[in-house]
Amino acid sequence: MELLRPSSPEEATGALGNGSRALAGGTELVPLIRDGLVKADTLVEIRDVVPRGVTGTRIGAGTTLAELELDGEIPQALREACAQAASPQLRSMGTIGGNLLQATRCWYWRLGFDCWLHGGETCFARDGAQREHAVFGNDKCASAHPSDIAAALLALGATLRTTRREFAVAELYRLPTDDDRNVTTLAPDELILEIELTTPDASTYLKAMDRRKWSFPIVGVAAARFGGETRIALAGVAPIPWLLDSVAILDEATPLPGTGYKVEIARALVRRAIEAI
Amino acid sequence: MRIELSVNGEPCEADVWEGESLLYALRERLGLPGSKNACEQGECGSCSVLLDGKLVCACLVLAAQAEGHEIVTVEGLAEDGRLHKVQEAFVAAGAVQCGFCTPGLVVATADLLARNVYPSDDDIREALSGNLCRCTGYAKIFDAVRMAAASL
Ligand SMILES: Cc1cc2nc3c(=O)[nH]c(=O)nc-3n(C[C@H](O)[C@H](O)[C@H](O)COP(=O)(O)OP(=O)(O)OC[C@H]3O[C@@H](n4cnc5c(N)ncnc54)[C@H](O)[C@@H]3O)c2cc1C
Ligand code: SF4
Ligand code: FES
Ligand code: FES
Repeated sequence: MELLRPSSPEEATGALGNGSRALAGGTELVPLIRDGLVKADTLVEIRDVVPRGVTGTRIGAGTTLAELELDGEIPQALREACAQAASPQLRSMGTIGGNLLQATRCWYWRLGFDCWLHGGETCFARDGAQREHAVFGNDKCASAHPSDIAAALLALGATLRTTRREFAVAELYRLPTDDDRNVTTLAPDELILEIELTTPDASTYLKAMDRRKWSFPIVGVAAARFGGETRIALAGVAPIPWLLDSVAILDEATPLPGTGYKVEIARALVRRAIEAI
Repeated sequence: MRIELSVNGEPCEADVWEGESLLYALRERLGLPGSKNACEQGECGSCSVLLDGKLVCACLVLAAQAEGHEIVTVEGLAEDGRLHKVQEAFVAAGAVQCGFCTPGLVVATADLLARNVYPSDDDIREALSGNLCRCTGYAKIFDAVRMAAASL
C-alpha cells in the first residue's frame, strides 16, 4: 500500500479512483481496510487539501465533530447531532465529510457476508438479526443509515460543494438498486470540500439509542423550521438518511417483523421535535 | 515507510507499514504496550492516547497520520518516577479488576481533569463514555475520578 500527501485538491483528485481512497480522520476507513472490507492500493491523505473550520454558514468538510459540537454559531440540530454521535475519542478525529460517507453498520455487511449490498443475492437481515434495521426503502437492503449528522443536514436543507459540483445533501444519497449498489452519488475521484448551511428559525435533533451516550441511532429525528415550513429528516430508519415529506408518511412505513418498534419511536420523537421548535 | 513523531516528549522514529495503526506501532515497534488492543473498532477506548492533546483511539489512527505529531500514552503520565494523581486514585479506589480497560480510562480521565477540575457526574459520564469496562460496573471508576479531581 502507498500513502500520498497531496498539497492541492486537484492533485488529490488526480490520485483518486483506480483503487485509491481518500483518508480524512480514518475512524471509518482504518478499520474497514484492516478487516478487508475496503481494498485500497493507495491512500490519499486529504487533511491538507480539504477546508477545515466554520466560516459564516460554510463548514469545511475536514472539520471534526468535536469542533462542531462546541460551535455556538451553527444551527442547534447540527450541533446536537455532532454532540450525540459516537464517543469523545471518535469525535476528536472524525470529520463531518467522512461522517456523511460512512458505510452501514449492518453486522452481516461488517462481518463480510456475501449479502445483497456486498453484491450477493440475499439480504440476510430479512430473515435474520434485524433489530437495528430499516423501516423505509428496505425492499432490497434493509440496512439503517447510521449518520446523525446527515439527518441534521438533510432537515436543514444544506448543500455540498465538491471538487466537481454543488448540490443538495439530499442528492448525495440514493437507494441502491440491482444495477448499482452504491448508496451515494459521489464519484470515486470526487472530494467533498464544503457544506453550506441555511439558517433556520429554530432546529433540533433528538436521538433514541440503546444507552444514553455513545450509540448509533435507533432512530434520530432532525427538525428545522423556516418560517411556516418545517423540514424533518430521520437517521437509522432507511439505507440512506430519510426526508419525511409529512408526518403522515410514517403510516406508510414498511418495517420488518423486528423493526416495527422504530416506527413508534419515530412517531414520538417527531412529535417532540416539532413541539420543541 | 519511516515516520518521525514525538512520543511522551521524546522524538522517535519507526519503520511502519502504510496501513498499520498507531496502536500497533506503539505496542509492537516502540515498546509501549500500555495502550491496550481490545476491539480495534473504536468501540472500547482501551487504546486511548492523546494526539496533539486530543483524546483519540490509537486503533483508528494510522501510524502514518501521527507523523510529525505529539503522542502521549499512559506510559507518559508519570513524572519523575511518581505516578500521576489519576493513576494513584485508580489504585486507591480499587477501580481496577482485570485492568484491561485501565490505561485507556486513566488517559481519558487525565484528559478530562486537564480541562475541567470540578467535573460533575454528568461531565464524567460524558468524558468516559467511549471507554468500556467489563468488570467493575463503573462505580469504583467514578470514585477514582472524583478522588483524583479532589487531589488536584
Ligand atoms: C465506534 C463508532 C461509533 C460511531 N458512532 C456514530 C454515531 O453515533 N453517529 C454518527 O453519526 N456517526 C458515528 N460514527 C461515525 C463517525 O462519526 C465517523 O467514523 C467519522 O465521522 C468519519 O470521519 P473520518 O474523518 O474519520 O472519515 P474517514 O474514515 O477518513 O473516511 C470515511 C470515508 O469517507 C471518505 N471521505 C472522507 N472525507 C472525504 C471527503 N472530504 N471527500 C470525499 N470522501 C471523503 C473516505 O474515503 C472514506 O470512504 C461512529 C464511528 C465509530 C467507529
Ligand atoms: S441489510 Fe443490507 S447490508 Fe445488511 S445484510 Fe441486508 S443487504 Fe446486506
Ligand atoms: S482497541 Fe481501540 S477502541 Fe477498542
Ligand atoms: S477492569 Fe476489566 S475491563 Fe475494566
